[in-house]
Amino acid sequence: MIRCVSHQETNDANRPDWWRLTVIALCTLILCSCRGPAAGRTSAMPHAAQGLPAEAYTGAPQGMEPCPTERPNVPVAYTPQGPWAPSGLRQPWPQDEYLRDGGDEGGPTGVNRSGEVHGLGMEDTVAHFDTLDGRTLVEPSNQVCLYSPRFGAVRQVVGLVATEEHQRVGGVCSPQKIAAPTTLQIVANAKQNLQPGQETAARPPVALRSKQGRDVLSTTLMPKGFQDSFQSYENLSIIRQGISERTEMPLLARGAKAAIAWSHTQAVQILLDRKSAAAEVRYEQAESVYTVTSPPGCPRLRLVKVASTPFAKPGEEVDFTLRFDNIGNQPIGNVTILDSLNTRLEYVAGSAQCSRQAKFSTAPNEGDSETVRCELSKPLEPGQGGVFRFRCRVR
Amino acid sequence: MVAVWWLGAAATLLAQSPPVHYLHHGVMPPGAIGSRQLQRGGPLPGFFQPVEIKVPDGALISLAADCRFESPQSGPKKAGLLIGAVYRLRITNIRLAEGQEVFPTIEVIDRLYAPIGQETRFAIPVDITEEDLKLAMSGRFVTRVIYLEDPQRALPARENPPAQTWFEAAPGQDPLAVADGLGRPVAILRLGARLPEPAETLEPSFYFGSPPFVAIASDVTPMPKPVRNLSAPVESPKVQNLSMPPTVAGRVAETGQGGAR
Repeated sequence: MIRCVSHQETNDANRPDWWRLTVIALCTLILCSCRGPAAGRTSAMPHAAQGLPAEAYTGAPQGMEPCPTERPNVPVAYTPQGPWAPSGLRQPWPQDEYLRDGGDEGGPTGVNRSGEVHGLGMEDTVAHFDTLDGRTLVEPSNQVCLYSPRFGAVRQVVGLVATEEHQRVGGVCSPQKIAAPTTLQIVANAKQNLQPGQETAARPPVALRSKQGRDVLSTTLMPKGFQDSFQSYENLSIIRQGISERTEMPLLARGAKAAIAWSHTQAVQILLDRKSAAAEVRYEQAESVYTVTSPPGCPRLRLVKVASTPFAKPGEEVDFTLRFDNIGNQPIGNVTILDSLNTRLEYVAGSAQCSRQAKFSTAPNEGDSETVRCELSKPLEPGQGGVFRFRCRVR
Repeated sequence: MVAVWWLGAAATLLAQSPPVHYLHHGVMPPGAIGSRQLQRGGPLPGFFQPVEIKVPDGALISLAADCRFESPQSGPKKAGLLIGAVYRLRITNIRLAEGQEVFPTIEVIDRLYAPIGQETRFAIPVDITEEDLKLAMSGRFVTRVIYLEDPQRALPARENPPAQTWFEAAPGQDPLAVADGLGRPVAILRLGARLPEPAETLEPSFYFGSPPFVAIASDVTPMPKPVRNLSAPVESPKVQNLSMPPTVAGRVAETGQGGAR
């Protein structure tokens, strides 16, 4: 049996494995560095903004219908969305227009044996509780985003002088007096004009002698229009006479090379593509939901946070509500909810309330705001829960 | 492979460069910074960014349209302005300076991404104070760079609604660079230091081409009702310790009808 092997197959078979791996790695890197179109997140473009013309461009992809946003088991908190947001970035976007409160970002919050809480950063909201086996667990809440941009201004006042001109003094003229007197010296000898004693008569020449040339005119011609003489490096026939000589070629080559070296601008010539690399992040959702049965002795606390409004202007008040539930299978005690407020959120004194018996307290945090603390007085049995609510004023 | 990795790392670093204006400075001519901002890309061209212009009590505002000023209106005035364009205003009826006029310019250099339907409520505030007007009338040139404050580095002070927090740039400092350090610059207000020619001979360049704008009525957008109905039932509905006052939706209203300082 004869097997026909094409030329292409022969070449592929001859290529080593490292070459294939290199090509695969290069292709993977190139594909990962390309920014793809916004996938999975299209904005609600058909909703026109109030006061804006219908043709106002909001950045959303044109001609695309909004994707359905049916997501089972979505968080309770409402997340405001702007008209457009780039893909691959944390939502909502941009972050400088939103106030965030909740979650446990940065270092994880922990509680030491003496009951001191460490790692609670600004905007964190956590709850810690004690279990029956003596452990102290920390459970963060979800994050609530509040659209509340605040503006400031930087002013500069410049005084323009349009009709005045300041001139600097050109120099200082100081009179100088004579350093030493000059001595006037008289002439040592004098010449006296004496009248000649006898008359001298001028006699004309008697004979006339003439000088006659050879009828040949000789003229000395000097170069015109060229000043100075040639310089030393110009001592070449091609410079002086315009005649190229082979013996001068090495000298000319050296001079030309020097000229190139002097005139050429040498620099690193690397051009980077103006398109920046970005990683495409895809949100994947589980298609199957599995129910996990907690083993005996598994304490769990669920903490959900919501806000009364998704957007607020400075000066307005916002209510935050925290729902806590013991979803474990054993009682938990010393349940304490801590909410470290953002710098721009000011706790309204006396606004904290809880559906269960609790103690409230506040303490200043790192953002010159306050940490609101709610400590339940009684343990939470499995299946029990409650609501902790307080009010903030947006600064 | 090393070279490819190096190029990839360099591209990543370029992508992480913050969108600041360190290459620009505040004394650039009106329109230069905004036009450079448009070249950076993004959904900026064609978007009318709502801007709320506030003036002192009694002062009147006129926006330039078709190389002439529209009829004066009392402040505050809301309008949707194009990013990168320069808009000429006329402020008249200034207190203790009746008869004098000031012609500021507003240049929007960035936009906001407000939630759907909240664009006009969260407009960029441009405060033209009485002090600024007096400085302009005395021949000074006033530049105000309005920036969006970074919430992570915000001042822990309550904002007084009639007045916008502002800083004075030190002599020799670039106000745009200072604003970049405090947040994200979004608009530039310039006024003063130029005596316009008589109204009959004003050149079109004085109006910067009279770019189009969208007039926005200063209406009040209703606030959404606060979330109160939780899905999970509360075991003991009796609220202890304190009673919650009524909802805040009724007291929220559009501010800015008062003084503009």
